[in-house]
Amino acid sequence: MEIKELIQELSAFKGVSNASMIRDNVVKLDIDKNSSKEFFTKLRDDFGFEHCSLITAIDNQPEFELVYHFTSINKSVTVGSTDMSVMTEVHVFLERDTPTIESISDLWGGANWHEREAFDLMGIYFVGHPDLRRVLLPEGFAGHPLRKDYVYEIHEEEW
Amino acid sequence: MSSKRVRGNPGLRRGLGSQTTDSDEILEDPPAGDWLTFRSDQLLEWIDNAVYNVAEATGMRELVNRVTRPIFNFGQRVSTYPLHLGIMCCAIEMGQASAPDHDIDRLGVVYRSSPRQCDVLIVNGPVCEKLRPKLKTLYEQMPEPKWVIAMGECAISGGPYWDSYSVVAGADTFMPVDVYIPGCPVRPEALMHGFLTLQKKIREKEPGMFLRR
Repeated sequence: MEIKELIQELSAFKGVSNASMIRDNVVKLDIDKNSSKEFFTKLRDDFGFEHCSLITAIDNQPEFELVYHFTSINKSVTVGSTDMSVMTEVHVFLERDTPTIESISDLWGGANWHEREAFDLMGIYFVGHPDLRRVLLPEGFAGHPLRKDYVYEIHEEEW
Repeated sequence: MSSKRVRGNPGLRRGLGSQTTDSDEILEDPPAGDWLTFRSDQLLEWIDNAVYNVAEATGMRELVNRVTRPIFNFGQRVSTYPLHLGIMCCAIEMGQASAPDHDIDRLGVVYRSSPRQCDVLIVNGPVCEKLRPKLKTLYEQMPEPKWVIAMGECAISGGPYWDSYSVVAGADTFMPVDVYIPGCPVRPEALMHGFLTLQKKIREKEPGMFLRR
């Protein structure tokens, strides 16, 4: 399969825009927030992207941007005369007032801690996550420190 | 226990030769007056007080301490066992210090894995907010006498992470620190010098008494 065909097939889904090619085996596309879950389901079941290698969040004020990396181990695209494994990079834009998106930790088990980390440091709320707790910072920490508008106050605790 | 509390057996405190006429006074000495709830730590405290009073009254305490103080101080000084705890890159230098090139074992520095067997806690890295309660627990689990070495810039003041939201600005904000070793990371020679400084401090400050009171 050529990567052009993959881009064409992916951009046919509802909510997909700006599907383009970063490298010879990397596809980049934007997806609408409301239709993200069914797109991710199809990405796993129909296209065989069985590995979610990265979920991260970017605060480009005022909106948030989520980046997903999905790689495929069995599926490959033809680059020149060789077959290379393919990767898809999905961007989702979220409004600052409602930074919520549907969780995909039921599709990819490895997304669980990535989503917890994005919740911990950036304050993205993943709806349907089984255990949305802080993972890096201690319980009871106030705020989400990687947001651009986070103000750090030194809190002295008595021991 | 408040410091104003009268210590020991009142009969003994009055002096060895004096007669105790009132027998109720002796019975009052175990606390609360209830012999059924006389716990073992109360018994130990009572024995401790009695031994202390006898030793103090006869002058034996000063004699014993004068004889045993150099021995105990020597034992504390040359067997400073640190906890085998590595936080960040200074732990590599700590390992290198006990390697054959800089053989820190000859200073009596033997790493132990349990805080119950340790005398020195080496804080060798930045202390996160999440690590701080655990490190405090480790410090409290160590038996007295105990010392703390802040190794490297991160443990002294937070180092490059002093303005971070998750790193404590220095180990001395939540535990007493005896020796500070600067460096980023600390060289093994500097760690050896830190232990020699600690030995010097123990020689001058620590009484090392047999009857610790």
